[in-house]
Amino acid sequence: MINKEDTISKDMFAPAHVDPSKSEKIAKPSLNFWQDSWFRVRKNKAAVVSMVILVILIIMAFVGPLLTPYAYDTQNTKHNNLPPRIQGLENVHWLPFDGTLTRRDGNVYNAYEVRKIDAYYWFGTDNLGRDLFARTWEGTQVSLFIAFMAALIDMLVGVSYGAISGYLGGRTDSFMQRIIEVIVGIPNLIVVVLMILVLKPGIMPIIIALSITGWTSMARVVRGQVLKYKGQEFVLAAKTLGASDTSIIFKHMIPNMFGVIIINTMFSIPSAIFFEAFLSFIGLGLQDPHASLGTLVNDGFVSMIAFPYQMIIPSIMIALIMICFNLVADGLRDALDPKMRD
Amino acid sequence: MVVEKILQVKDLNISFHTFSGEVKAIRGVNFDLYKGETLAIVGESGSGKSVTTKSIMRLLPEHNSEIKSGEILFNGKDLAKLKDREMQKIRGHDISMIFQDPMTSLNPTMKIGNQITEPLIKHQNMSRHDAKERALDLLKLVGIPKPEIRINQYPHQFSGGMRQRVVIAIALACNPKILIADEPTTALDVTIQAQILELMKDLQKKIDTSIIFITHDLGVVANVADRVAVMYGGKIVEIGTADEIFYNPKHPYTWGLISSMPDMDTEEEELFSIPGTPPDLLDPPKGDAFAPRNPFVMKIDLEQEPPFFKVSETHYAATWLLHPDAPPVDPPDAVKRRQSQYLEMTGVNSGAVGLDKGNSQFPGKKEGK
Amino acid sequence: MAERKKLLEIKNLKQYFNEGRPNEVKAVDDVSFDIYQGEVMGLVGESGCGKSTTGRTIIRLYDATGGEVLYDGINVHGNKSKKQLKAFNRKMQMIFQDPYASLNPRLKIADVIAEGIDIHGLAKSKQERMERVYELLETVGLNKEHANRYPHEFSGGQRQRIGIARALAVEPEFIIADEPISALDVSIQAQVVNLMKKLQKDKGLTYLFIAHDLSMVKYISDRIGVMYFGRMVELASADDLYRNPLHPYTQSLLSAIPAPDPISERTRKRKSYDPASHNYGDNESVEFREVTPGHFVLCSEKEFKQYQAQSK
Repeated sequence: MINKEDTISKDMFAPAHVDPSKSEKIAKPSLNFWQDSWFRVRKNKAAVVSMVILVILIIMAFVGPLLTPYAYDTQNTKHNNLPPRIQGLENVHWLPFDGTLTRRDGNVYNAYEVRKIDAYYWFGTDNLGRDLFARTWEGTQVSLFIAFMAALIDMLVGVSYGAISGYLGGRTDSFMQRIIEVIVGIPNLIVVVLMILVLKPGIMPIIIALSITGWTSMARVVRGQVLKYKGQEFVLAAKTLGASDTSIIFKHMIPNMFGVIIINTMFSIPSAIFFEAFLSFIGLGLQDPHASLGTLVNDGFVSMIAFPYQMIIPSIMIALIMICFNLVADGLRDALDPKMRD
Repeated sequence: MVVEKILQVKDLNISFHTFSGEVKAIRGVNFDLYKGETLAIVGESGSGKSVTTKSIMRLLPEHNSEIKSGEILFNGKDLAKLKDREMQKIRGHDISMIFQDPMTSLNPTMKIGNQITEPLIKHQNMSRHDAKERALDLLKLVGIPKPEIRINQYPHQFSGGMRQRVVIAIALACNPKILIADEPTTALDVTIQAQILELMKDLQKKIDTSIIFITHDLGVVANVADRVAVMYGGKIVEIGTADEIFYNPKHPYTWGLISSMPDMDTEEEELFSIPGTPPDLLDPPKGDAFAPRNPFVMKIDLEQEPPFFKVSETHYAATWLLHPDAPPVDPPDAVKRRQSQYLEMTGVNSGAVGLDKGNSQFPGKKEGK
Repeated sequence: MAERKKLLEIKNLKQYFNEGRPNEVKAVDDVSFDIYQGEVMGLVGESGCGKSTTGRTIIRLYDATGGEVLYDGINVHGNKSKKQLKAFNRKMQMIFQDPYASLNPRLKIADVIAEGIDIHGLAKSKQERMERVYELLETVGLNKEHANRYPHEFSGGQRQRIGIARALAVEPEFIIADEPISALDVSIQAQVVNLMKKLQKDKGLTYLFIAHDLSMVKYISDRIGVMYFGRMVELASADDLYRNPLHPYTQSLLSAIPAPDPISERTRKRKSYDPASHNYGDNESVEFREVTPGHFVLCSEKEFKQYQAQSK
C-alpha cells in the first residue's frame, strides 16, 4: 500500500520506454516433450527407484553369469542341492546365506560342512549340481529377451496395423477390426499352446507365440488415437498444404502417440514375462539345459519343501521385474499423458 | 442510498502450485457485491476472473491451489476458512453457480425433474411432492414450455439453450442470495444468448438475487451489468458502474478493450489493438502488470504497483495515470467519443484523464475500506 | 466495380453426411455464391448452420456431394492428378479456429511453418528454408528466436499468428479463415484481425472469413453471406446487410448481438425468427433472388416483390 505520495518523485512519471518486442518474449526455458516428461518422471520416486532396480537387474543379467566360476550348464552331481552360501555373509545367521538347511524333523545343519564341500554357491545349486546364481541371471537374460522381443514385435505390428486401419477408415477399417475381434475371440492360451506344439519349444517359438496375439491391444489403442487425430486441425492443416498420407501418419500422428505407445509397451513387457513363466511352468517353455525364470521356478517347485531356495530366488526375481516394470509404466503414464498436465 | 453489502471480498490472494512453480493467479482482489445488483467481471483468459468466483464457491482443486490470504465475507462468515461441511450448506443454497457449458453441467443419466428436486429435498427438507411442484414452477419461471412433460425428460432431449434454462432453474431452486454465472452464454449462439440474458435479467427483477456475471464479451456486459470490474493479471484494475466503465474508462487496459472491439459503425482502417500478450503469472512483472503493453507507460509503472485511485464514489481505477503528477495522455478515439457521450449524458466534465485531478485526492485509498 | 474478376465460383454446392441413411445431415444444401479477387467475403451463421463445412468443402477437406467449386474457372473437385492437386494446395490455404489444436505439439515452430515449403519444394537449401521461416515469422509480428520453440510455449494469439504464417508459406492467393478469432481473447482478436487486413492489402489476398461474431465480420468483410440450416438466406455488401437486412432470420440475428454500449442495450429490442412464419405454399418456389443489385435473398416470388418494394 502506497500512501506516502510525497515519496514518489516527479520524474517517475516521465514516459518510459518498453521494448515492444519484449512483450512477445517467452521467459520460460524451452523444454521439448522429452525433457518435460523426464522432469515429471523424476518427481515420481517409485518410478525412479524401479528404474534403477531394473537397470541393475538388466546389467546383472549379462554380467552375473561371468561373476561366478561356475557355468550355468555345468553339472556336478556331487554338489547337488546345496543351499546358498556367500563368503562373509555365512556367519550372519539371520541371513539365508549361511549354507544351512532344515531337516523335516526341524534340525538345522550345515550342508557344506556335513558333505565336506569347500565351495561357495551364492544362490545354491539345483538337483543336478548346476550353479543357481549363474542360472538365475542366465534365466533373467532369456526372460527379458523374450519379453523385449515380444513387446517390440507387438509394437511394430500393432502400430502399423492400427494406423492403417484407423487412417483408411470406412470398409477397410471395419474389415481389419473384424480380424482383430476374431483373434481376440479365441482364448490366447489355446493359440499359444498350439503354436508351441507346432513349432517345438524354444526361444523363437515362444516369442512368435506371444506376439501372434499380443499386438491386438496396441493396434486398438493406436487406431483410436489415429481416429482422434484425423479430425484435429493440425492434421487438416497438413492436408490443405498437400502433405502425403505417409507424412501425415509418420510426421503428425505417430509422434503425438509416442506417450501412449511407450506406456502400452511398458505394460506389455511384464505381462510377456509372466506369460513366458507361465508357459515354462506348464512345461511348454525352454528345454534343458537352457533356463528362463519360468523353468527355474518349475524346477524348484519339484523340491519346494526340502530345498525352498530353489524356487524362492527365481520367484523373487520375477516378482521384482514385474513390479518394477509396472511402476515405471505407471510413472511414465502420469508423465506422458497430456490429460495429467497442468 | 444505503445498499446492503451481501458479499465482501478482501485482499484475496490465491496461488496454484504447478510443476513449473507457483502461479499467482489472484493477487490482491477486493470487491463488494450489493444486494440485488449484477456485477460483471470482465477480463481475458488467465486474468483470474474464474478463479475468483470459484474461490467464493470453494470449488478450486484442493491438491494444488491455496488461498494465501484474504477474506470472503458472506453473512458474517469467512467462506475462505469455512469447514467443508458448512460450505456444503451454503453451496447451492445461499450461493449457486451456472457454468459455461450446459452440455456438461447436467447429469445425462438423470431426469431433469430429479436434478431440480434433489437440492430442494436435501437443503430445504421439502417433501417429494412439494419439491416436484416447485420444480414445475421453476421450469415455468425459466420459460420452458410444457413443464409437465419436460420434467420427466433427460438432458439430451433438450437443445443447448433449453439446457441452460434448466441449469438456471436448478441454480435458482433454493432462492440463492447470490448467483454466480461463469460465462453462461459463451457456448450458445447469439440468438439463444439474447434469450438467456433476457431471462436472467427478468428473473433478477422477480427474485432479487445478486448476480456475479463473468464474461469476456463486452457486449454482454453492457447488456446485463449494473457494475463492472475489469480484471487483468490477477487483479482488478478498474471497477465502476457500467456507465462509468463504458463511457468514462480510466485504465489504459479498459481503453484497449473497449476500442479493440469494432461496433457496427467502425470504419477505421485499423482496429486499436493492445500489443503483446498477457503477463505470465508464474513470474509476475515488477510494478504494474499491464506496463509492458501500455502505450502510456511511465517509469513508475515499472517500479511500483499502482494503488486504486478514486474517480468517483463508485468508480476506482488502478493506474498511475490518475496520479496528480502524471502527464495528460490522449486516449484512443473510440474512448474519446464515449467520453464526450458521457459528458452530454451527465453534464460532468470527465474530460481527458489528466484533467480531473480534483477527484483523485485520495490516491491509495482502496475500494471497500 | 463491375469489372471485378471472379476468383471463385461456388455453384449449387451440396455436402450431405451419411447420405441415403436415416441420419442424413444436409450440412450444406444447394449453396451458390461467387468470391471476387481481392475481396473479403464474410460468412456468418449459428453453430451447425454449415458455414465451416462450406469452407472445408471448398478446400477439398470433404468431397462435395454435389455442385461445383470453380477456382479461376477450373473445377476444384472431381478427379485430379497429383500435380493439379498440389497446384490448388498452393493457391488456396486455410486458417483454423482453435489455436491450440491447429499446431502439431511435437514440431518446432520452424518445422510447422516450413511444412508447406518442404512439401512444395520452395526452398533450395536449408539456409534458404530458414530464411523464409524467419521472414514469415517477422511478417506475422514474431521473431527469429521463436523458431526453435514448441507450440505449447506460445499464447493463443501468438499461435494463431503462427498458423497464419504457415498458410502464407506457400504464397497462396485465397485464404479461408475458419473462425480465426473466436477462440481468442478480445484484446488479441484485434491484433489478428489487423494482421489479416494488413496481409490482404500487402499481398493482394482474397479471404473467405467464416465467423459468428458479426461485428468483427462486418468490420473486415466487403460482402457477407448469412447461412441458416445449410442454406444461404441472404448475401449482400456488408453495409447493405446491416442497414437493410431483408430476410427475417438476418434481422433476428442482427437484433440479437449485444453492443458494448449500455445505453443502446437498454433500449434494444430483440426480434425472434420462426421459420414457419414464411408460410410458403406448396407450389411456391423458394429461390435465391437478387432483390437489389448485389443483394440476394432466399425468398418466394411473393416475398421477392415485397422485399423489392421495401428496398426502394
